[in-house]
Amino acid sequence: MNLVWKLLRQHISIPQFAGFFFANLVGMTIILLGLQFYTDTQAIYQSEDSFMKADYLIVNKRISSMTTITGKSSAFTLPEVQDLDQQEFVERVGLFTSSAYDVKASFRLDEKTSFSTEMFFESVPDEFVDVKSDDWGYQQGSREVPIILPRNYLDLYNFGYAQSRNMPKLSEGILGAIRLKIELSGGGVRDEYEGRIVGFSSRLNTILVPQDFMDWANEYYAGTKTKSPTRLIVEVNNPTDDRITSYLQDNDYETDQDKLDASKQTFLLRIIVGIVMGVGLVISILSFYILMLSVYLLVEKNSTKLENLLLIGYSPARVSMPYQLLTIGLNVLVLAIAIVAMLAVRNVYLEMFESFFPDFETPGIMTTLLAGVCLLVVVSILNVIAIKSKVMSIWKRKD
Amino acid sequence: MKEIVLENTLPKVFVQVKDLQSEVWNHHVTFEKERLYLVEANSGTGKSSLCSYIFGYRKDYEGRILFDGADIAQFKTRHWVNIRKKSLSLLWQELRLFPELTAMENVDIKNKLTGQQSKQQIESWFEQLGIADRMHAKIGRMSFGQQQRVALIRALCQPFDFIFVDEPISHLDDTNSQIVGELLTTEAKRQGAGVIVTSIGKHIELNYDKVLKL
Repeated sequence: MNLVWKLLRQHISIPQFAGFFFANLVGMTIILLGLQFYTDTQAIYQSEDSFMKADYLIVNKRISSMTTITGKSSAFTLPEVQDLDQQEFVERVGLFTSSAYDVKASFRLDEKTSFSTEMFFESVPDEFVDVKSDDWGYQQGSREVPIILPRNYLDLYNFGYAQSRNMPKLSEGILGAIRLKIELSGGGVRDEYEGRIVGFSSRLNTILVPQDFMDWANEYYAGTKTKSPTRLIVEVNNPTDDRITSYLQDNDYETDQDKLDASKQTFLLRIIVGIVMGVGLVISILSFYILMLSVYLLVEKNSTKLENLLLIGYSPARVSMPYQLLTIGLNVLVLAIAIVAMLAVRNVYLEMFESFFPDFETPGIMTTLLAGVCLLVVVSILNVIAIKSKVMSIWKRKD
Repeated sequence: MKEIVLENTLPKVFVQVKDLQSEVWNHHVTFEKERLYLVEANSGTGKSSLCSYIFGYRKDYEGRILFDGADIAQFKTRHWVNIRKKSLSLLWQELRLFPELTAMENVDIKNKLTGQQSKQQIESWFEQLGIADRMHAKIGRMSFGQQQRVALIRALCQPFDFIFVDEPISHLDDTNSQIVGELLTTEAKRQGAGVIVTSIGKHIELNYDKVLKL
């Protein structure tokens, strides 16, 4: 092999291969970084509200002075729900069930301070709530009810009440450990329950209990099973779809608009990352083109040598091998350096992420590595095939 | 491989030629192992074409060329690689040496592929042909006559059933021509191979079994 390499390395142009090397390095780094950045930012968006996916919208009827005066119902009728369910942009629709009984909740912070308030419960079908099934559910007869509170409540306490009274601020974790005393009454019955806070949601401005519990309690305390829902939870396939906005306007419905904006942001981020990765891919494809041109030129310049090697008994596979190994070696080197570069840049932005989002859990880099290796394999296979076919064209010289 | 048969083989460029005087083109010619052939030719009668056809390097001919009855037009790449490595040796008129390599490296590049000859054997051939002192000189710096001798050594560094030598002594003096002839016939006899020598005038003096006019 040594002598063959001694022959075939003639005419190798260092500037051409260096050009390929750096172009491909830039392209590959951009692709890997884009992919990893996307994975990392997804983790942020997902950690923002672990109970609800971004693709859920909460829809209610618009309440105006007129509805108040005329007493027109703000509840959804069955045909309205069915119509919404049949829209193309809708994946599925869930109904909010509200409590038809009285709810009074209280909790004690310390000896002096306790809160007590009249409140209400709502529930949505369990498949819309993203909590481990062990935590979310209700066994009949149990005195313990899992609850999800709006994050606003926590903010209201921490930044309003606690601030003005010089009280300690509470974290989600501490509050989660506090048990709420809940009193349910209706139909002449009054019972006490213990509320266990399983989490806080910034998407749902309501006090959420499991659907099982709601159904049972409505039946038990109010003797009624269903009440027309005033709010719907809707899973859509693309929150930025224009048809959603126009459908809502046409029917005089409202949605949690800012949440729609949040999902617009993720969507935009996805597009931006997509464009950046696209640029990386274009650079990589161009560099691949440079490499192929360089190798073709090299084969062309060494065509007499290649031909003579073939004529003295070397197989096309054997004379292709030095060039194939050369390109594969370059590709592997590029990937290795690109991974190192990606990790270096990632370290910088991860520090920023962690200072902004203390709860941020760093996702792994396996997906990105795997994507890089896949790209390497595909590009190398293309290189190997192209070189072999170029050598074969010398073999099959036509006179 | 036991025999090479030319069955009405004719270069395409000669198809239009009316009064072609040849004992090879458009005839049935058989080359057998262990025999010595001389193909005499004038310039432009297709001597190098004949070598190229038989070596699978060019295909611009009509008729058929058969190796042990098999039409070589049907041979696949792998088959040809095998033939060039194990059955057919060819000393090209234009030599096809690598000017970037030394004389020894030019021989080695072939011998490493086939593992046919010992280093001592190769060195003794260099000695016999009077180019031992040029063994490590770059081919590009050697005369054509010296290069011819290196190319011959390279051609002998493989197993073969037939060896074609295309004008092997065009640039050699009589003494060296005689040594070339001896090396060629000795190695061919050792391997039981057929030898086909082509010439446009000066040729190696050997006991040819058959002389063909191209």
